[in-house]
Amino acid sequence: MNKLKNNCNYYILRYSGVVLLIVLWEILPRIGVFNPQFIPAFSTVIAQIYVLWLKNNLITNIMVTLWRVLVGLMIAAVIAVPLGLVLGGWFNRTADLLDPLFRIFGQVNPFSLLPAFILFFGMGEITKLAVIAWTSIWPILYNTVSGAKSTDKLLIKTAVSMKISNWQLFKKVLIPSAAPSIFAGLRVGTEMSFFIVIAAEMISSNAGLGWLFHNASMNNQIPRMYSAGLFIIILGVLLNRFLVYFQNKIFFWKDTGYNFSFIKLKKLKSKFSRRQIAALALVTVIIIGIGSIEVSYSNTPNFNSGFMNKMDEDQMNMEHDNKSNSDHMHMDMKK
Amino acid sequence: MAEKNNDYKIIIKNIKKIYDVLSDDEESSKNFLAVEDFSLNIKKGEFITIVGPSGCGKSTVLDILAGLAKPTSGEIYIDDELVKGPGFDRGIILQGYALFPWLNVEQNIEFGLEIKGISKRERKETAEKFINLVGLDKFKSRYPHELSGGMKQRVAIARALAYDPEILLMDEPFAAVDAQTREILQEELLTIWEKTKKTVIFITHSIEEAIFLADRVVVMKDNPGRIEKIIDLNLERPRNTANIRTSKEYNIVWNEIWQLLHDDRKEKQLDYI
Amino acid sequence: MKKRKRDVAYKFLIIVIFILIWEASSRLGLLDPQFIPSFSNIVDTLFNIFLSENFIVNVGISVERALLGFIVSILIGIPLGFLLGGWFQKLDLVMEPVIEIFSQVNPFILFHIFLLLLGIGEGTKIAVIAWTCTWPIMFNTIYGIRHVDQLLLKEARSFGITRTKLFYKVVVPATLPSIFVGIRISAGYSFFMLIAAEMMGASSGLGWLLLSYQQIYDIKRIFATAVIIAFLGLILDIIIKNIQNVFAAGRENN
Repeated sequence: MNKLKNNCNYYILRYSGVVLLIVLWEILPRIGVFNPQFIPAFSTVIAQIYVLWLKNNLITNIMVTLWRVLVGLMIAAVIAVPLGLVLGGWFNRTADLLDPLFRIFGQVNPFSLLPAFILFFGMGEITKLAVIAWTSIWPILYNTVSGAKSTDKLLIKTAVSMKISNWQLFKKVLIPSAAPSIFAGLRVGTEMSFFIVIAAEMISSNAGLGWLFHNASMNNQIPRMYSAGLFIIILGVLLNRFLVYFQNKIFFWKDTGYNFSFIKLKKLKSKFSRRQIAALALVTVIIIGIGSIEVSYSNTPNFNSGFMNKMDEDQMNMEHDNKSNSDHMHMDMKK
Repeated sequence: MAEKNNDYKIIIKNIKKIYDVLSDDEESSKNFLAVEDFSLNIKKGEFITIVGPSGCGKSTVLDILAGLAKPTSGEIYIDDELVKGPGFDRGIILQGYALFPWLNVEQNIEFGLEIKGISKRERKETAEKFINLVGLDKFKSRYPHELSGGMKQRVAIARALAYDPEILLMDEPFAAVDAQTREILQEELLTIWEKTKKTVIFITHSIEEAIFLADRVVVMKDNPGRIEKIIDLNLERPRNTANIRTSKEYNIVWNEIWQLLHDDRKEKQLDYI
Repeated sequence: MKKRKRDVAYKFLIIVIFILIWEASSRLGLLDPQFIPSFSNIVDTLFNIFLSENFIVNVGISVERALLGFIVSILIGIPLGFLLGGWFQKLDLVMEPVIEIFSQVNPFILFHIFLLLLGIGEGTKIAVIAWTCTWPIMFNTIYGIRHVDQLLLKEARSFGITRTKLFYKVVVPATLPSIFVGIRISAGYSFFMLIAAEMMGASSGLGWLLLSYQQIYDIKRIFATAVIIAFLGLILDIIIKNIQNVFAAGRENN
């Protein structure tokens, strides 16, 4: 009985901040402290989400964004992880020497070289994926190299004394040992991926959460803007939680401590059960499957997300888009 | 089939090892003589301990024996064959356990067998045998971070034994354990040795440990690393921790080794004054 | 020290080799000059645009914005980090979910919202940069505080030290390395968001220049500007690394 009471108290305290925030968000615009034109009340935003869900394809946009995040991340991982393992595991010295070069590359903003990207990869999805992959590669690479380098030398010594082959050493010692770091890198990579997909969608796309937001902003549909934004936040929180849970589950053998999360999780003892892994794989496949369908659908000239679009031709022309964006913004402000 | 070296399992001839290290001011590299003129003949089933100060090259010798390092000059023959690299006939146990943290006890022990390519069923059987030998059958699904120091060391021993090397090389394996556990592990090690009849080369810092375990003690000195003396022990087996320290022979040998190891320290002190 | 000097030389060499390979590929026709101009061309262009006064002014404007946003983020991030470092348990409990949510607010989204509220002036851009940069600093500060070596604290307390002194003489120095990690990460973000913000809504600065070059498709100028941007980011990183080394003297660093 007491325990129940304590638990209740804990949860009340815990979420009081969020609740307060929501209450303020609801009240302040209504009583005029915030101009409801610019900051609509919370309930208005929620209502919009509902509308979006029912009448227009919110699901489509979510799937498209998720798909881009996932695929961009996978491309980055497929390049960065093996490269990082080989560099960190065998070519230590080379890895050190290449570090400044990689750091310089990491400084290069993909948006600055967007024309080069576009010319290489065309106007379609691949460019967006390339931008996402470019941003995610560097943290994954860096963490993988670092993880491979810090493999316990005693472990290597023990394994070598058992006459282990190079390939076995790679597979059975290096990879498991570096896995926590690799995952940390993948986590950062995912966050960066999600971060930048929104921007990429704002610039050149006709579907996706970023596009949804941008389009709403262009058409001065303020509540819609906020709902898209809110949804992006929710997605981000869910993604983050999932990654932390995943990390704790897989690396139960590692003393945590390196966790950046605020989320307190009990130390989970077992690995993933077969069913859970299968479920995870299924979800991934679904996202990729449905997402790619939606994405290719959305890239056909006839696609209409259910909103007022500019002319399709214009949408294909990124430069024009940008010009009209900034023009629009200038015009807005001049009002 | 030349019978001449039949007696000896391991023949170590004039091992010398020079390392390239950075000089003190990091300007260039210089040669560091880790060990020189190390020769030793070891019979099958013998228990040899090597004791000496830090930097006397004892770990270097063990590495070379394990095939993890190549000597600058000198050879090692095992069963009359020249040692060129690591092999299944030798198993190494290091200070710091070196257990794979992502594998549980059972999987750690099976590791060497997996590398050897032994079938899964056979692996499990063999591993179980050794888990029982070290008395960890209740813990076989546990992970290293859940084990105490003594348990971890037992796992390390079981892992080395599991793929059945004839020679065990141990580099200060009990240094990281507390004194009580250490005594227990020492006795357990001797029991296992008597059961399995391995040839053991054991490195330690502790004179007590060296004498307690060994048939013969190799005393090494540093600057440069070399053998100072090889002492035959006449203590009876099975060794008993309770009585051994009161035995006369033990104390004589203890003092002898202590003197050998602290000889130059006396000289150094005089210089200082 | 020679070995370290040798290492630095090698690192330089690798960058030089990279540049040479780039140049060679361009001259051999492996790189289509319409997509990727040769390095020498880029250098040429750099000289040209530097000579025009406009460019330097824009660089100045950009750097100013980035630095301002960066500094604001430090001023907010570090104290916030200390506040939430774990002394006030109830505060932490309440704030953690709030922070979890706020940290997920995408700065690109925020930029448009700021545009609505603050208009198109300097404030918007600096606010977005500050927003993006505050999080790494704050999180790393919190991490640093929570991981101060307990033994250190125990030892210090056994001297009978006062709480304030404990804070200034033990906790702060022990947290400093983590804070610097956060600062370095933020520095990287500051330039990134700067360019993004300037590309989205500005009429001056490097990002805006970049955008205008993109619109007229002057590939050489695009690359030249991109090189300058990367270069500036690198310099900031190096400066911070050196400051980090001064503060963390005697500690193992990465």
